[in-house]
Amino acid sequence: MDKFNFLTVAIKNLRRKTFRTGALVFSIALLVCLMIFALSFVVSVSSGIKKTSDRFGADLLVVPVGARSNAEEFLLESKEASFYMPKSIIDRVRKIEGIEELTYQTYLTTISGLCCDIAPTRIIAFNQGSDFIVNPWLQKSLGRKLKKGEAIAGYETDYNLGFELLDVEKTIFNNKFKIVGVLDKTGTGLDNALFMDEENLNDIIASGKSPLKTGDISIIFAKLKKGLDPYLVGKKVEADIVEVDVVSRREMGGSLLNALKDINKIFLVSISMASILAVFLVWAIFSAIANERSKEVGIMRAIGAKESHIVRLFMLEVFIIAIMGSIIGIATGVSLSASLSRSFNILKDISASLSLIQHTVIAIAGLLVGFAVCVAGAMMPVNRIKKLEPLLAIKKE
Amino acid sequence: MQHIEIEDLSKIYTVDKLAINAVDHVSLKIGKGEFVSIVGHSGSGKTTFISMIGGIIKPSSGRILVEGNDICLLNDDALSEYRNRKVGFMFQFASLLPVLTARENLLLPGLFNGAKTSNDGKKAVEYLEMVGVGDKLNAYPSQLSGGQQRRVAIARALMNDPELILADEPTGDLDEETEGEIMNLFEKLNQEKKLTFIFITHNLELARHAKRQIRMTNGLIKEI
Repeated sequence: MDKFNFLTVAIKNLRRKTFRTGALVFSIALLVCLMIFALSFVVSVSSGIKKTSDRFGADLLVVPVGARSNAEEFLLESKEASFYMPKSIIDRVRKIEGIEELTYQTYLTTISGLCCDIAPTRIIAFNQGSDFIVNPWLQKSLGRKLKKGEAIAGYETDYNLGFELLDVEKTIFNNKFKIVGVLDKTGTGLDNALFMDEENLNDIIASGKSPLKTGDISIIFAKLKKGLDPYLVGKKVEADIVEVDVVSRREMGGSLLNALKDINKIFLVSISMASILAVFLVWAIFSAIANERSKEVGIMRAIGAKESHIVRLFMLEVFIIAIMGSIIGIATGVSLSASLSRSFNILKDISASLSLIQHTVIAIAGLLVGFAVCVAGAMMPVNRIKKLEPLLAIKKE
Repeated sequence: MQHIEIEDLSKIYTVDKLAINAVDHVSLKIGKGEFVSIVGHSGSGKTTFISMIGGIIKPSSGRILVEGNDICLLNDDALSEYRNRKVGFMFQFASLLPVLTARENLLLPGLFNGAKTSNDGKKAVEYLEMVGVGDKLNAYPSQLSGGQQRRVAIARALMNDPELILADEPTGDLDEETEGEIMNLFEKLNQEKKLTFIFITHNLELARHAKRQIRMTNGLIKEI
C-alpha cells in the first residue's frame, strides 16, 4: 500500500488546477528572481568596492590634486587614466606624523601599433623594495621578484584568458619585455593590468613614446600607525601638501557607493511593490481556493479534522508553491545575474564576484521572501475557512 | 441505557435580522443501538437537529449528552475528536473528496486521528468490499455512479468504528433498488454492530424501516 498522509492530499489538491498552481509558482519565482538579481548586483558592487579597498592594504591613497576620481576609476573600475606628480612628494608625505609605511606606483597605458605589439593595456610600475600591494600576490604566483625586462600579467588579462602566450617577448614602449606569468585573482582593478618593476621606467621614458617624465609617479599608498584616524591624517596631508588629494580607505569608491545607494532604493521600491502584488495575488487565489473547497473543508471537519489539520493541509500547499517558486526564482536569478553581469559595465570594471557564503545568504533571503509572501497571502483565507462551523462550510456556495 | 439525551435544545438562525427557530426547545432520549428515523418537510429543522447531535453546528441553548457527556461544552479540538471517534456522518449529497480515490477517502478519518495507514488500508478494503464496491478501490468519485459514491461514503462513516451513525437523507437521489440495498445495509449494521442509527428521510416507506419514528415540524418533534 502506498503512503497516505497530509502531503499526499496537498499534492493532489495542487494538481487539480495545474495552470493556477503554475501561475502562482511562476509569480513567486519572478519575485524571488528579481530579488536575487537585485541583491546579487548590490552586494557584488558594494562588496567589490570594499574588498578592493581592503586588499590594497593601505589606509591612505595620495594622488595628484584633481586626480581623485581618476585614481578611483583606475583602481576600482580598471579604467585607463594618466595622472602624475613628482616623486619628491613621497618624502614630504613620509614626514607627516602618523605615516608608518609608504609605497608608490606609476601608471601607463600602452597604445596599440605606435610603440607596442600588445593590445592597449594598463601598465603598473611599482617599487619592489617598498611595495606591500603587489608583492604578496607576486610571491604566491611567481615566488620571486621581477627582474628588469620582465612583466607579470593580471588575472583578467588576455594572458590568463588564453588569448596571448606566456614566456614570449613583447614590445612595450619600444622595449622588450618577457611576460613571465599571471598573478592570482585579487578581485581589484589590478587584475586587468600588466606589472613591472619601476626600474624599467627610465628605458620607457627614453623611448619617447610615453607621456611620462623622469621622476613622475601616479600614486602613493600609505599605511598609518595603529589607532590613528585615516580621515584626520588625510586632511593633514592635504593641508601640508597642496599638490595632492587624499582618499582614505573608507572614502574609496564613495561616489560609486552613493550611486549604489540610489540603485538600492530603486530595487527596494521595486521589490516591495512586487512583493505586495505577489501577496495580493496569493491572497486572491487562496481566497478563491478556500471558497471552492469550503464544502470539502466542511466534510473533513465533519469527519474529525481539527482546525489545525485544515491549516496544515492548506499550509502544505502554500509551502510546496513557495519552495517550487523560490527554487526556480533562485536558479533563474543566479543565472540572470551571471549572464547580465557581463553587460553591466560597473560589474565588469569592479571585478566584483560573490563568495559562496554571499551566494548562500542571498539564496536564503530569496527563499525566506518567497515563503513570507506565500504565507502572508494565504494566512487570511485559511484562517477564515478553518473558523467556519462545519455545517456552514458544507452549505456555503 | 441511554446513548443520547437531548435537553431543551434550540437553534435560532438570524436571517435579515429575523430570528428563525430551526429547532425549538426539543428534548429527546435515544437508547444505545436504537434505529431512529426522522421525517418532516423541508425546512422543518431535521438537518439542523442531527447536525447539533453530530457536533457540526453549535446549539443556541440546551444540552446534548452523549454517554453522559455534554458535547456542547467541548472545545473545538475535543469536538473534532468526538466527531472523529464517536460519530459517522452520511450526508444528503455526494460527500467524497474529488481528488482522492475511494480508498483514500476511507483513509481520511484515520489521517485526522493519527491512525497507521497500513492498518487502515486493510480495513478500507474490507469495508469497501462489505458495501459492494471492493472493485473500485482506486476509482475517483467522478468515476463512480451516485449509488457507488453513497456506498463509499457509508464505508467511510464506519472507518473509525463509531457508535453513532447520523445519516441525512442518505438515499435521497438514488433509484429504488439501490435505496433498498442501502437500507438493508443500515439494518444489518444496526443489528450486527449494535450501532445507534439516526437517519433523516422524506420517504415515509423508508422511515418504516426504523423501529422508532419521529416527525419534525417547525422545529418541534413528535413521536409517531
